[in-house]
Amino acid sequence: MSVSFLDRERTIAVPGYSRWLIPPAALCVHLCIGQAYAFSVFNLPMTKLIGISQSAPGDWKLTDLGWIFSLAIFFLGASAAVFGRWVEEGGPRRAMFMAALCWGGGFLLSAIGVYLHQLWIIYAGYGVIGGTGLGIGYISPVSTLIRWFPDRPGMATGMAIMGFGGGAFIAAPFSVWLMGRFATPTHVGVAETFIVMGLVYFCFMMVGASIVRVPPPGWAPAGYIAPAQPKPLVTTRNVFVYDALKTPQFWLIWWILCLNVTAGIGVLGQASAMSQEMFRGQVTAVAASGFVGLFSLFNMAGRFFWSSTSDYIGRKNTYFVFFVLGTLLYALVPYTGAIGSIGLFVLCYAVIFSMYGGGFATVPAYLRDMFGTRYVGAIHGLLLTAWSMAGIFGPVLVNYIREYNVTHGVAPAQAYNVTMYLMAGLLVIGFFCNVFVRSVHERFHMRAVEAEDEVEAAPVFGGR
Amino acid sequence: MRNTPQPPAAGNGIKLVLAWGFVGIPLVWGIVQTLVNAIKAFQ
Repeated sequence: MSVSFLDRERTIAVPGYSRWLIPPAALCVHLCIGQAYAFSVFNLPMTKLIGISQSAPGDWKLTDLGWIFSLAIFFLGASAAVFGRWVEEGGPRRAMFMAALCWGGGFLLSAIGVYLHQLWIIYAGYGVIGGTGLGIGYISPVSTLIRWFPDRPGMATGMAIMGFGGGAFIAAPFSVWLMGRFATPTHVGVAETFIVMGLVYFCFMMVGASIVRVPPPGWAPAGYIAPAQPKPLVTTRNVFVYDALKTPQFWLIWWILCLNVTAGIGVLGQASAMSQEMFRGQVTAVAASGFVGLFSLFNMAGRFFWSSTSDYIGRKNTYFVFFVLGTLLYALVPYTGAIGSIGLFVLCYAVIFSMYGGGFATVPAYLRDMFGTRYVGAIHGLLLTAWSMAGIFGPVLVNYIREYNVTHGVAPAQAYNVTMYLMAGLLVIGFFCNVFVRSVHERFHMRAVEAEDEVEAAPVFGGR
Repeated sequence: MRNTPQPPAAGNGIKLVLAWGFVGIPLVWGIVQTLVNAIKAFQ
C-alpha cells in the first residue's frame, strides 16, 4: 500500500459518487471500536487464566482488570483531543487507517500480554494503544459526514455514532463464541480470541478506509439550496479549532455533554443491580440482564432517532427535551419502585438511555452549527474530554451515594433514590447551560481566505 | 460542482448494496442475538 493512498487528495470523490456510501464507511469503524462497551465479557475468563475453572493464586483480580477499560476510555478522550487537528487536516482515510492499526494492534499486543500473563502489556495494548485507536476512530468520519450531508448533518453523524452503540451487540456474542472455539480443558482461549478479533477488526476498518471519500470543494447535494438567510444558531462561518476553546459556547456545550453523560453513565453500569434491589423478589438476575440488553438497544436507537430529530427541531431544542424530560424521568424512577411498577421502571429507563445515546449523537451537529464545518471533527475531539470526565463522575456518584445510604441504614430498595434526584438535579444545571448557548461572536470567525488557505494546506500538514 | 446534479456513477447500486450489507448484516445479527436473550430473560 503506497502512502499516497492515504492522502486526502486521493480521497476526493469523482463526480457521481454516491454520498450514501459514506455512512457504511463510517460504520465500518464505529461498529469495530464499539467493541469497547463489550470488553467486560473478557473480565471473568481473564481471572481464570491460570486456574482455568476457577481463580487460582497468581490469577488477576477483577479490580485490576477493570483498569483496562478505564484506561481505554481515558485515552479515547485524550487522543481525540490531541489528534483532532491531525485527523481533520490529514483526511478521513489516514485517520481510519491509523485507528485500524492502533485498534487491531492493541488487540494483538494484549494477546501477547495474556500469553505471557503480564497485565501491564494489556494496559499498554488495549488501554493505551487501543484507546488511542478508539479516539482517532471515533472522530475520523464526523466532519466528512457533515460535509456530505449539509442538509441532514444530525442524521448523518447519528448513523455513525449509532454504530458505536451497536458494536457491543456484535462483539459480545462474537467474543463468547470465539472463546468457546479456542477453549480447551487446560486453556481459556482469550489470547487466540484477541488475535482473531484484532485481525478481523483491522480488515473491517480498512474496508471503511477504502470506501471513504471527501466531497470536492464547493460540492452540494443535488437540489440542495443553502438557506439564503442563515438559521438562528447555525453559522455559515468557521472557527479555528483552538479559537473554539476561547468561546463560552464550547464550554457550555462541554458541560451539556458532561452532565448528560454523567447522569446516563452513572446508572448505566448499575441498571442491573438497581432493578434487582428496587424490585427484590420480582426481578431475577437473568431478567435484569434482559433489561440491560433492552436498555442498550434504546441507547443505540436513540442515537439515530434523536440526532435525526434534531435536524428538524434544532440542536438546542433537542437538548431542552433531554434535560426537561430527563429530569422528570429520573425523578420518577424512585416512585416506580415505591408503587412496584416494573413496567413503568423499564419505560423510564428505556427513554433515559435513548436520550443518553442521543446526547452523544447530536453533539457533533451542535458543534457544526456553532463553529462551522472546517474544524468540527477536531473541536468534537476536544469536547470528548467531557466524556472522559463523566466516565469518572457518573459511576463514582452512583456507587458512593448508594454505599453511604446503605451503611446509614437506608433499605437497599430506597438506596438509589437520592442518586436519582441528584441526577435530575444535574440535568437541571444542564438545562441552564443550554439556555445560555448563543451564536459565536464574529471576532472568533476565520476569515474566508484564511479558511481556504487552511484547506489548501491541509494535506501538507497531514504528513506527506 | 456546486448544486450541479451529477448523474449517479455506474455500479453505484451494487456498491451501495454491498457496503450496507457489509455493515448491516453483522449489526442486525447482533441486535437479534440481544433481543433473543432479552426475550429469554423476560420468560
